[in-house]
Amino acid sequence: MSKPALMSLHQALKRSFHSLEQNHKVWNSVLEECVPLMGSLGNLAEQLLALNGVQMASTPLARFSDLQDRLRCKLLVAVDTILDKLADKMCSLQKVRDAVGNQVTAAFQVYEQHADTLDLTTCLQRSAAAPSVADMLEWLQDAERYYRQQYLRRKALLQALKPGELSDLQNAHRRWEALATPEREDSVSDTLFRVSFFMDSP
Amino acid sequence: MEAKSPGASTPCRKPVLSGSARKLKDNAADWHNFVMKWDRLNDEGSTIANQIVNLKLSKEAVKEADIAEDGGQTAITQRTGSASAAAAELEDRCSALVVILEKMAHLVSKMEKLASSTKGVCELQEFQQERTGVCAPLFHTWPVTHFDEVSSRLLRSYTEELALKEVIVGEIAHTCRSDLALVYLSCWLYQPYLEQSSTVQLESLLLETGHRPL
Repeated sequence: MSKPALMSLHQALKRSFHSLEQNHKVWNSVLEECVPLMGSLGNLAEQLLALNGVQMASTPLARFSDLQDRLRCKLLVAVDTILDKLADKMCSLQKVRDAVGNQVTAAFQVYEQHADTLDLTTCLQRSAAAPSVADMLEWLQDAERYYRQQYLRRKALLQALKPGELSDLQNAHRRWEALATPEREDSVSDTLFRVSFFMDSP
Repeated sequence: MEAKSPGASTPCRKPVLSGSARKLKDNAADWHNFVMKWDRLNDEGSTIANQIVNLKLSKEAVKEADIAEDGGQTAITQRTGSASAAAAELEDRCSALVVILEKMAHLVSKMEKLASSTKGVCELQEFQQERTGVCAPLFHTWPVTHFDEVSSRLLRSYTEELALKEVIVGEIAHTCRSDLALVYLSCWLYQPYLEQSSTVQLESLLLETGHRPL
């Protein structure tokens, strides 16, 4: 009889989806917080480029002999501060990725424990209020993959940035925005809509 | 050894500060307040300087468009109207920046008085120490000369920064080069002559004089 097995799997799936819902909100809000930081980074790169392009000796600032070095130092410190803040944001994103990953693994473990008692028909069976177990497991895996890939791509972009390479720094926010995969992001939101009745069911 | 004042060499807080210590502590508080005021003025000035550069650069863009498009008399007259409005706004913003600069100059002159008063107190204290032979720190650890060193260094930074800002205010509305305008803006905002160490020194001054809890 697969009824108790199905019940415990449903409970595990509910826990995973509740966690996914929470973490999805956190993920989106952290990503939003990154946008102004990436903008500031581009701004600072532009200021550094302007500073490199100006011959101080031929400007009204000529009498400040060490100005160029001092200003460059200040700007680079500001770049470092922004990169530190972004590193903190990446930590928050990593936490989301890990939390979702752990929840998905937990749901799969429960499934594997009961795999012998759950026949194919039970796994594929769906009702008006609950999608099939197979679908839900697949959606969880998709969500987990989305966070994993996004995190790695964004982390790689930030790691490749060097304060000396100004044009890279200047374009970083455009490349950051280009990393977004709205259709995958939407599919996580869609999943949460599809399982909303299931999540609220006792 | 009768001149040894009670508690002067002990690390614990004295209930009532002697004349010199009182004065140095007040001066430290004044430094803090002046620096806070300066920062506020710098933020206000930064906003105004940004507006000036934006107005100036958009004016240049309009001028170029006028040259490119020679026909259409009515379009040009309309533009001249909006150009004079922009010029008036530019004038207004420039005056606002001059007011900020004047306030900053006033602040630096107050800092000068503060630094010279600190120097005076330190010299007096040194003189007394030579006479009595007692060389105890007034607060926790700093020798008296250190107060003078810190306040002179702070004064030097702010004087140099003011000189830089004077040049920026004089030039910012007269440059047509966008990169130079950007350099002026970053100079105003990031204050290259105020080093990170000035902040640390000011904080340690506040710590030494007991304004910040240890």
